[in-house]
Amino acid sequence: MDIAHIEPFIEATVGVFRDMLGMESQFLTPYLLGADLKHEWDISGIIGIAGDSKGVVVISFTAELAAEITSVLVGHKVASDDPDVIDAVGELVNIIAGNAKKGLEEFRLSISLPSIIRGSNHQISWQSDVPIVGIPFRTASGKFHLSVGLENIISS
Amino acid sequence: MNVLVVDDSRIMRNIVKNALVHHPRFSSAECFDAGDGAEALRIIESNKIDLVLLDWNMPMMNGLELVKRLRAKSEYAKLPIVMITSESAKYSVIEAVKAGVNDYLVKPVSEKALVEKLDRLGI
Repeated sequence: MDIAHIEPFIEATVGVFRDMLGMESQFLTPYLLGADLKHEWDISGIIGIAGDSKGVVVISFTAELAAEITSVLVGHKVASDDPDVIDAVGELVNIIAGNAKKGLEEFRLSISLPSIIRGSNHQISWQSDVPIVGIPFRTASGKFHLSVGLENIISS
Repeated sequence: MNVLVVDDSRIMRNIVKNALVHHPRFSSAECFDAGDGAEALRIIESNKIDLVLLDWNMPMMNGLELVKRLRAKSEYAKLPIVMITSESAKYSVIEAVKAGVNDYLVKPVSEKALVEKLDRLGI
């Protein structure tokens, strides 16, 4: 798997967690996602990518970690069903996708507004002809997951 | 000083406002909020705004479109506008500067970085 074009997303994620949340994060081995793969996450933020490539960036959390991240951002404790959690997850995926563009400047890319899917074991159906790379992360507060697909840029 | 903070994320608006008013020089700034460019335009047209801190990707009217509309009107030709956005690519910075922003910050933004930018603008 060619991960050269995945590195900007990894760097953006680590940077955002460190600089915005004060959390150290480590990425684990990237892997290729299968279609309609079941997973353990409770909330996902999704951003579409268009331009010189088409694709998607998804960040997925457990409800607990999403609430903890939101609590850091708003400065007080929030529950996992607080509306600010949706705002926080959307803004995180927006910043990660936007920051990653700096490492992909040879491609002119535009990013969509984020969408949020909430619910345990929610399903995300991927475009079948675009390889999606899964990147697990861990923090001291728990795991989360980044999924990235970019047509003709990230290859299997 | 009246400052308009424009971002579709309420959390980001609060982070930017807090970064600004936390600094002694801006502690008395009155902050206005807008969740998109269209709402921001209405606020600017109805109030005396001295500084706009503006996101790019927003619904209804994005930040770039707002900048172009403002700079097309002579009364807003000199309104200080700082874009605060996740868009990190050089071509985005160039596009924003061509549209008329005075300066540009990539999120996540710190109080230090924001105040330094405003210092350089003489605000």
